[in-house]
Amino acid sequence: MTTGGRPARWTATARALPWLGPTLVLVAGVVFFPAGYMAWTSFRDLSQFGVDNGPAGFDNYARLLEFTALSRVLLNTVVWVVGVVVVTVVVSLGLAQFLDKAFPGRRFVRLTVIVPWAASVVMTTTVIYYGLDPFYGVLNAFLVDVGLLDQPYGFTRNAVPAFLTAMGIAVFVSLPFTTYTLLAGLQTIPDDVREAAQMDGAGPWAAYRRIILPLLRPALAVATIINIINVFNSLPILQVITGSIPGYNADTTTTLIFKFIRADRQIDTASALSIVNFLIVLAVILVYLKVVKPMRDDE
Amino acid sequence: MRRLVSMTAATVAAGLALTACGFGGDDGGSGGSGDEGGATSIDLLVPQYSDGTTALWEEIIASFEDENPDVTVDLEVQSWDNINDVIRTKVQAGEAPDILNIDAFSGFAKDYLLYPADEIVSEETFGDFQESFIENASLDGTVYGLPMIASARALFYNEDVLAQAGIAEPPATWDDLLAAGTAVAALGTGVYGYGMPLGSEEAQAETSIWTFGGGGSWTDGDAITVDTPENLAAVEFMKRMIDEGATQPDPGATDRTPMLDVFVQGQIAMAVGLPPTIGQIEERNPALDYGIAPVPTQDGSPVTLGVADHLMAFRNDDDKQDAIRAFLDHFFATDTYLSFVDTEGFLPTTKSGAEGTANAERFADFLEVLPDAQFYPSTNEAWAATQGALQSLVGQIQTQDAASVLQQIQAAADNA
Repeated sequence: MTTGGRPARWTATARALPWLGPTLVLVAGVVFFPAGYMAWTSFRDLSQFGVDNGPAGFDNYARLLEFTALSRVLLNTVVWVVGVVVVTVVVSLGLAQFLDKAFPGRRFVRLTVIVPWAASVVMTTTVIYYGLDPFYGVLNAFLVDVGLLDQPYGFTRNAVPAFLTAMGIAVFVSLPFTTYTLLAGLQTIPDDVREAAQMDGAGPWAAYRRIILPLLRPALAVATIINIINVFNSLPILQVITGSIPGYNADTTTTLIFKFIRADRQIDTASALSIVNFLIVLAVILVYLKVVKPMRDDE
Repeated sequence: MRRLVSMTAATVAAGLALTACGFGGDDGGSGGSGDEGGATSIDLLVPQYSDGTTALWEEIIASFEDENPDVTVDLEVQSWDNINDVIRTKVQAGEAPDILNIDAFSGFAKDYLLYPADEIVSEETFGDFQESFIENASLDGTVYGLPMIASARALFYNEDVLAQAGIAEPPATWDDLLAAGTAVAALGTGVYGYGMPLGSEEAQAETSIWTFGGGGSWTDGDAITVDTPENLAAVEFMKRMIDEGATQPDPGATDRTPMLDVFVQGQIAMAVGLPPTIGQIEERNPALDYGIAPVPTQDGSPVTLGVADHLMAFRNDDDKQDAIRAFLDHFFATDTYLSFVDTEGFLPTTKSGAEGTANAERFADFLEVLPDAQFYPSTNEAWAATQGALQSLVGQIQTQDAASVLQQIQAAADNA
């Protein structure tokens, strides 16, 4: 493999090209072209109807930096991503552990856990939004009836409670995927490893921390990365719950992109923010990979 | 595993790109098809005013195609929520419809995309529009929009609740409104005084009603002026209404449509409504004992917010101009036009329509205030962004100082 290996591999690649071709075209068309076009847009001066008025240099990015609510939006984004992902993963670890045990009716419970995944996110969110409506929401009426509230409270009408509500829904809809990824990971851990730990005198908690969690590392990594990306880019939940709240106190960078397009009619600034968004998520994943080293082989 | 990471990175790229560019907007069959064997086809993009909108247009198109067998009209109906995104995507992709029905036309006119209005209807049709609407439909002296339907606002009030609160006359001034609102709230029956919808749906309308009512305006004829003494006084009074409990809780995040339903259910005593609100009450709670009065203003002088939606034609292909003119003349022929306006429950913008409308009596309260209507400065290029800023920011007066909120909106207007 030392001499001549390289050319041989090249010919192999060349021979594979006709078969890879359609996929590469698809990837280029669906991934690289839109991403490149967005980057190009972020350096153009676009009218509110998308007519290109020439190059803009870094004006669109400068406008972002001048945007006064930016720090609050970035903080919200951090709270949103970290909060939702951490809670989701922790709850899912528990759920997966539970579903890994044999018990009567386990199949039914496993199916139930999938439900939030199967339902449309917008539908789930809208149901809760209406339920929490202060004028006619059933959840609000219930809280008043059982005496927890004196009068209906505008959960969805103020930035902080609405944001927390949205986070709760985001956790709810993220649980099925995360739980199942972790459950699959748990099932790859052979029983003899657990038995060996038991024989060596490890208590349940020590066995979990020292044996199970390290072996779950790859599954945990997949679950976390996919969740970070999903949650970071999630628009529908926040759009439904906090969309009519004035100001930027309940916005993340993703919903801010939406507001730049819809309210401010600034397609070019929105593109610039999308690029920034893209860089942030890339940086977060790189840092995660560097610090947590989820891909490290422990054997 | 490494492959997974690079794949996920690629997925992020795709996801973000899709979010930002809005590619792949649906394209309801507007292939920009010009002549097909001598026949012309024109694309018509319209918003959905009501559940019956599509059927109404289909009827009009069918009667037009009967008279003009060589022209076909392709109809696309979009919700108000989406139509701005749809038209933006289409224009960006070079697939603008031939005829568009929407509220604002000036952005398209500024980008040189539209025919002047007098080139797309006959002289007779053009002369039939009411002057105030034509003025509102022109940009730099050229008329680009054909005023299609109009709407005005008036105060709807629940007579039972006001009587209960000891108020005999509907409020005419801001002070009356404040007094009436707090009196209703003081009843302690759970009914709120005045419904103030400052949520993102239509906060610009509610705010305009107040600023126009205080003698304010959104433009000095040239630039967009949000942060003016008159506007500030009006917004400060709005804040006072909120602070003194004369409104429903959390007006900043209350959208208009769901709030009017609460009025219809009798849980809000007063709210500013539109002509179609009458129909909604008839349909959903005919037992509601309500009245309609002019919108209260600072000193009681009549002012209202008028809104006109327009029809406009895009310069896609010059040999379609005759077909477009034929279709628009057909639409504005009095009978066809009134069938649309009366069924949708709007006010007509033509002189012949105003005489002939079947709803003259029903809409008397609105037709009466129409001469005092003021409009959004929608011909100003910066208005769209200002409207967006009003929608997403003005509700903050619930928790912030009125002056600083107006400054934020002014900044957005200056930035546009």
